[in-house]
Amino acid sequence: MSGWLACAALVAVAVWVLRRVLAGYPASSLGTLAPREAAFVAAASEAMFPPGGEIPESGIEAGIPQYIDGYLAAVPPRQRLLMRSLFFLMEHVTLFFGAPGRGGRRRFSALSQTQRQAALEGWRTSPSNARRTVFMALRSLLTMGYFGCPAVLQRLELSPMDIPTPVIEADLLYPPVGRARDGVLHTELAPDPAPVLGADAPVHPDFRTAPR
Amino acid sequence: MSVSWEGEGEVRVFAEYQRDFSEEADVAVVGSGPAGAVVAYELAAAGKKVVLLEEGPPVVPEEFVLDGSLSMTRLMREAGLRTTSGTIMPTMQAICLGGGSLVNSAMCVRPMDFVFDDWCTNYELEATSLADLTPHFDAVAEFLGIAPTPEEVWGPRNELFARGCEALGYSSEPVERNVRGCVGSGECFTGCRARAKRSMDVSYVPAAIRAGARVLTSVQVQRIRTEGRRAVGLEGQVVEPFTGKPGHRVRVDARQVVLAAGCMATPVLLQKSGNLANGSGQVGENLQFHPGVAVMGIFSEPTHPRFGATQGYQSLQFLRDGFKMEVLWAPPGVTAVRLPGMGLDFKRHIASMTHAAVWDAIVSGKHSKGRVRARWRGLDPSLSYRFDSRDVPILQHAALELCKVFLAAGAHTLVPGLHGVAEELHGEEDLEVFRGEMKAGQFPLASTHAFCTTRMHGDPRRGVVDPLGRCHDVDGLWIVDTGIFPRSSAVNPMFTAMALSHRAAGAVAAA
Ligand SMILES: Cc1cc2nc3c(=O)[nH]c(=O)nc-3n(C[C@H](O)[C@H](O)[C@H](O)COP(=O)(O)OP(=O)(O)OC[C@H]3O[C@@H](n4cnc5c(N)ncnc54)[C@H](O)[C@@H]3O)c2cc1C
Ligand code: SF4
Repeated sequence: MSGWLACAALVAVAVWVLRRVLAGYPASSLGTLAPREAAFVAAASEAMFPPGGEIPESGIEAGIPQYIDGYLAAVPPRQRLLMRSLFFLMEHVTLFFGAPGRGGRRRFSALSQTQRQAALEGWRTSPSNARRTVFMALRSLLTMGYFGCPAVLQRLELSPMDIPTPVIEADLLYPPVGRARDGVLHTELAPDPAPVLGADAPVHPDFRTAPR
Repeated sequence: MSVSWEGEGEVRVFAEYQRDFSEEADVAVVGSGPAGAVVAYELAAAGKKVVLLEEGPPVVPEEFVLDGSLSMTRLMREAGLRTTSGTIMPTMQAICLGGGSLVNSAMCVRPMDFVFDDWCTNYELEATSLADLTPHFDAVAEFLGIAPTPEEVWGPRNELFARGCEALGYSSEPVERNVRGCVGSGECFTGCRARAKRSMDVSYVPAAIRAGARVLTSVQVQRIRTEGRRAVGLEGQVVEPFTGKPGHRVRVDARQVVLAAGCMATPVLLQKSGNLANGSGQVGENLQFHPGVAVMGIFSEPTHPRFGATQGYQSLQFLRDGFKMEVLWAPPGVTAVRLPGMGLDFKRHIASMTHAAVWDAIVSGKHSKGRVRARWRGLDPSLSYRFDSRDVPILQHAALELCKVFLAAGAHTLVPGLHGVAEELHGEEDLEVFRGEMKAGQFPLASTHAFCTTRMHGDPRRGVVDPLGRCHDVDGLWIVDTGIFPRSSAVNPMFTAMALSHRAAGAVAAA
């Protein structure tokens, strides 16, 4: 009898752990990030880039989750797995090493904004090189996503510039990827060099969707 | 004006491979980066029947992606996320026609004589002094039109560096680059839309094709074929651009085989070909990098950092002390990653980029070593590296000097991005930290310069190739990429690789 009770208790604990670790995430409209990953990325984006301050756009407003969703789809499987492991680790590690304050032992995405920032700050300034490296990996992804936002780039005057592209000899030789050589885009040279840019050079009109 | 390519060589692309096929050539060259493109052109121009095999596709400017990380997923191996184990350090190798030259900053720097003297003395190399190699550097320089970065495209980032060095009495100069007509877009990393950078895909490779070479893109070489002690050709597979999905089989018969797949891929190819050319046990050993340290300085005036040649100015003042200082720029998202702070504080630092410049120092790292090993599946390498504590004082010195140049140039705030160092430094008194003891772990290292994994050595028991790139153990097999450097070049490696490759071409042609 006591064996059965112990088993039932174990199953209950396991169910509780599984629910706490894996379940209860809102559905996500993103194609590659699973709901758990999407929740983590959104929470980390807002912690790293909260609304307001010197650049008004928050991480969510800048579209970091959508950016990372697309990025994850574009990287090779091994790197995708590593990123997924990173998100899993960071989402759940606070269950074991809690963030400061009441209720700090929850999943990252369930923490308050202050607790999330404190948890990330702990990784950023950790004496452990390994923890700092993990943090930098996350920071890299989120920051690149933040800079994927045209509005952010415009505020920082860092938008790619509009540059006329001359047609040189090599452009008569190579087709775009996926096409055969009869698909080469140019048949005539237009070798006039592009003019030297300046600090106030015009912004590329559709750089978000490049390649043109 | 129309240009015809008839009657000479040709380039083949992924969409054209309909079945398994084979080729026959005097010389098969693997890899179209700086080393492979030079040797392919020189041999084709010498009348040899050359087949150049490149795993990546040609990438036309209409396909350049201006977003740094998305661009990396297409142009870099492992999406640009390759790292070493041991000392964890990101490193990048390209996968496209032109190899690293498509994404690099085009800096063409000749090492000083002491580098080659060290190579000759300690690695028993004959005829490899700077004087011996000068004709080869000159020939490459003339072909590519290598010239100092013109003043009109320096922009504030480069000008401030020059000003800081001058104020301190340090030597500095505009960087010589394989560029014609730079417009100062600072986007060398994602491909030069102005078509100014003379990367291999627009310079040596078309010239090789004109001279009769056949260039097979999207072909991954997987094995070097041998008969007895002699290399007789290659085997590989067509791979889909960007996904690497394998397709038709490819076989090449060749009298000479030249490996220029880069210092990470060449040792893996040798290991996967039955541990070929490894009588010395040095294949994949001795991996060296130029670990870099970067500092951001903030000025009172806007620096308009998006304008100006990517890396247009440098100082060789401390080359003999083990490091070189240079201006740096990368896609803004990549540059911002190392800024300090969290939340609004991080945003504040990001906002300061409008008034900032980033300068870096590459450290010769000659005490630090690693190795390259084949994984059991595929051709991606497993990399290990240990940053040696004897190289830490050099990093420290480099960080200190970068800070001094910033202060001399008028920066009011320095952001060194180092663990255990204040996040912002404001004056000479704050620099004391660099004069005390520091540890390797305080420096977030990264490096795009890698070499030495198939090093040359006069003694066949201690190196893989001789000074001309000829494998000691296998006839008809040559290596010309940066893997053959016996030790760090102390400066950016591309020009040296091209000069050595230019010299090797003469020997291959005569073989
Ligand atoms: C971002 C960046 C900036 C840099 N800036 C500079 C700079 O300004 N100046 C400088 O001197 N150096 C610079 N470097 C370093 C420089 O680009 C490299 O040292 C140089 O490209 C090495 O030339 P390589 O020919 O030895 O190898 P690579 O350029 O790596 O070329 C090797 C080629 O072989 C191909 N290949 C690999 N395996 C296979 C296979 N199995 N089958 C077929 N093909 C294969 C690859 O796709 C690649 O195209 C930079 C590097 C990077 C990544
Ligand atoms: S700075 Fe811009 S224009 Fe100049 S070589 Fe680099 S990418 Fe081309």
